[in-house]
Amino acid sequence: MRRWSDFFILIAVLVAMIVLFGLMQESFFSMGTLGTVANRIPALALVATGMTLVMVTGGIDLSVGSLLGFCGAVVGVLMADLHWGLAMAVLASVGVGAVIGSTTGAVSVKLRLPSFIVSLGMLEIARGLAFLTTDSQTKYIGADIEELGAPFGGMVISPAFVISLLVVAAGQVMLSQMAIGRHLIAIGANREAALVSGLSVDRPRIFAHALLGALTGLAAVFNCSRLGSADPNAGTGFELGAIAAVVVGGTSLMGGRGSVVKSFMGVLIIATLEAGLIQVGATEPVKRVVTGLVIVAAVLADTWRRK
Amino acid sequence: MKCHIPLLFAALALISCKPADGPASSHSGKPRVALVMKSLANEFFQTMAEGAKKHQAAHAGDYELMVNGIKNETDLAEQVGLVDQMVSQGVQAIVIAPADSKALVTVLKRAKEAGVLVINIDNKLDADTLKQAGLSTPFVGPDNRAGAKAVGEVLAKKLKAGDEVAIIEGVTTAFNGQQRKAGFEDAMNAAGMKIVASQSGQWEMEKANGVAAGMLAANPNVKALLCANDNMALGAAAAVQAAGKTGQVQIIGFDNIAALKPLLADGRVLATCDQHGDQLAVFGIEAALKVLKDKTTPADQQTPVDVVVK
Repeated sequence: MRRWSDFFILIAVLVAMIVLFGLMQESFFSMGTLGTVANRIPALALVATGMTLVMVTGGIDLSVGSLLGFCGAVVGVLMADLHWGLAMAVLASVGVGAVIGSTTGAVSVKLRLPSFIVSLGMLEIARGLAFLTTDSQTKYIGADIEELGAPFGGMVISPAFVISLLVVAAGQVMLSQMAIGRHLIAIGANREAALVSGLSVDRPRIFAHALLGALTGLAAVFNCSRLGSADPNAGTGFELGAIAAVVVGGTSLMGGRGSVVKSFMGVLIIATLEAGLIQVGATEPVKRVVTGLVIVAAVLADTWRRK
Repeated sequence: MKCHIPLLFAALALISCKPADGPASSHSGKPRVALVMKSLANEFFQTMAEGAKKHQAAHAGDYELMVNGIKNETDLAEQVGLVDQMVSQGVQAIVIAPADSKALVTVLKRAKEAGVLVINIDNKLDADTLKQAGLSTPFVGPDNRAGAKAVGEVLAKKLKAGDEVAIIEGVTTAFNGQQRKAGFEDAMNAAGMKIVASQSGQWEMEKANGVAAGMLAANPNVKALLCANDNMALGAAAAVQAAGKTGQVQIIGFDNIAALKPLLADGRVLATCDQHGDQLAVFGIEAALKVLKDKTTPADQQTPVDVVVK
C-alpha cells in the first residue's frame, strides 16, 4: 500500500537520524533525550495539525509563531498579573487564537487575497499585540501552569503530550474520515471543480484557519507550561518549524494532498534533529545548515518516491 | 549700518541651523539628544528607555529627548536608517546602543562628520573596526566581563574544584555576549571548574530551554548552567526542573529582570547581575550633555555592576 511506504520513508529518516546522533554522542540514547524530545513535541504537533488542514486547501498561515507569542502573552498577563485560574486562561488563549485565526482566514477568503500575504500582515500585528499586552515584559507564572507540561510521576509523558497526541488523532480522523476533511482536500485539489459540484469553498477554508488559530492558542499554553513563564518574544520563527514539519510529512504546498499523522512524523523528525544537534554540541551555524539540508532532503525523498 | 549687525548674526544663526549643516539648536535653544536603542520589545531596553524618559522629564529645562528603537535586535538596516534620520533632524548628540558592534560604525562615522556627538552605550563598538574607520566614540557603560566574573565567583563558592559546568551564551556576534561568556570563563577557570559545553541560546528563553535540556542529557554530571541573560536563565531553570534535577544544578543569569525574582527567592536561580538597566541610557545622556556643555573631549566611562542574590 502506498500509504505505508510513505510512512516507511519517514520512519527510515527518523531512525537514521537517531542512529547517527547515537553514534556521535553516546548519551543520546537516554531517558533525558526522550524527555527533551517529548517536551518539544506538544506545541509543534498541535500547530502542525492545524497547519496541515490549512495547507491541504492550498492556503498557508505564517502568523502562527507570532500568534503563539500573543496567546502566551495573554496567558501570562491573565495568570501572573490578574491571578486567573488555569482553566479560564486556557479558554481565553484558545479563544483569542480562534478569533485571530478566523480573521486571517475570513480576510483572505472573502476578499480574495492570498493567505500568504494576509497572514504575513497578521504576523506583524500579533507580535505587536504580544508586546503591548505584556508591556514587553517577561511574565513569570510558576507552578500554576507548570503541571500541564510536567511528566506524570517522573515519567517522560506529560499531560500536554497526551493531549497533543489526541489532537493529532482527531485531526487525522477529521481529514481522512469526515466530510469536512474531504471537502478541504477537494478545495485544495481543484477549487473550480469543487465549486461547480456545489460545495461551499469559503466556509471550510475559514474554518481551517480558525481551527489552526485555536490550536495555536492551546500550543501557547503548553509552551508557557514548559517554561513556567510567558515571553512576548516566544515563537519567533516557530512558523517555519511547523511548516517544515508539514512539508516533510509530504503535504503539498499546492494543496489537495496531506496527512496529519505524517505531519506528526515530520514533527518527530524536526524535534529529534533539534535535540540531537544540541547534544552533539553543534554550533548555531551548523545547526541551521543541517536543519535546512534535512528539510530539503526529506521533501526530495518524498518527491522521488512519487515519480 | 550698525542696526544691521544683529540681523547679520540672525542670518548666520539661521544658516547654521540648517539640518544639513549638522549640529543645530532647536527653537527652544535646548540641546536635542537622540537615544537610539536596540529592540524596544526587549524588557531590558524598554526599562532603559523608561529611565531615560523619566530623567528627561525631571530635567526638562536642560535638554530635549527623542527615543527610538528597532523592531528586533538583529534588524541592523533599520537602526542604520534611524541614525541617518536623527542626523538629518539636526540633533546635537546621539546616544546609541548598537545592534551590532561593527555594522553601525560606518553610519556613526557619517553622523560624527556631520558634527553630531556620538556616545556609545550598552554594547561596545568593536575597537578594531573603529580604528579602521578612524572613528573614536566614548563608551559609557558597564564592564560586562567583570560583572559576569563576579556572578561566576558567587557560583564557584557553591561548587567544588573539578565540577562540570556549562555556559549558555547570548548571540555570538554581540560584544556584550562575548564579554559575559569571557567573564564566566574567567571565574570558572580561576576556580578550577571544567567547562564541558558552551552553546548559544540566542538570548531567548525558549531556545535556551532546548539547549539546556540537551546539555543536561548529554552531560549528566553538569553541576551548573551559566546563562548570559536572565531570559535564558528562566529557560534553563525550566529545563532543570523538567529533568528532575532541581537543587542539583545551579543556575546563574545576568540583567536582574523582574520575572526572575521568584526563582532567586526559592533558590532555583542562584544569582544574577544588575547593571542598573534603568540608568544605563541616563549615564550616556548625562555624559553627552556634559561634553556638549563643557566642550571637553569625551572619554570612556564605567558604570556600576552589582551581583544580586536571593
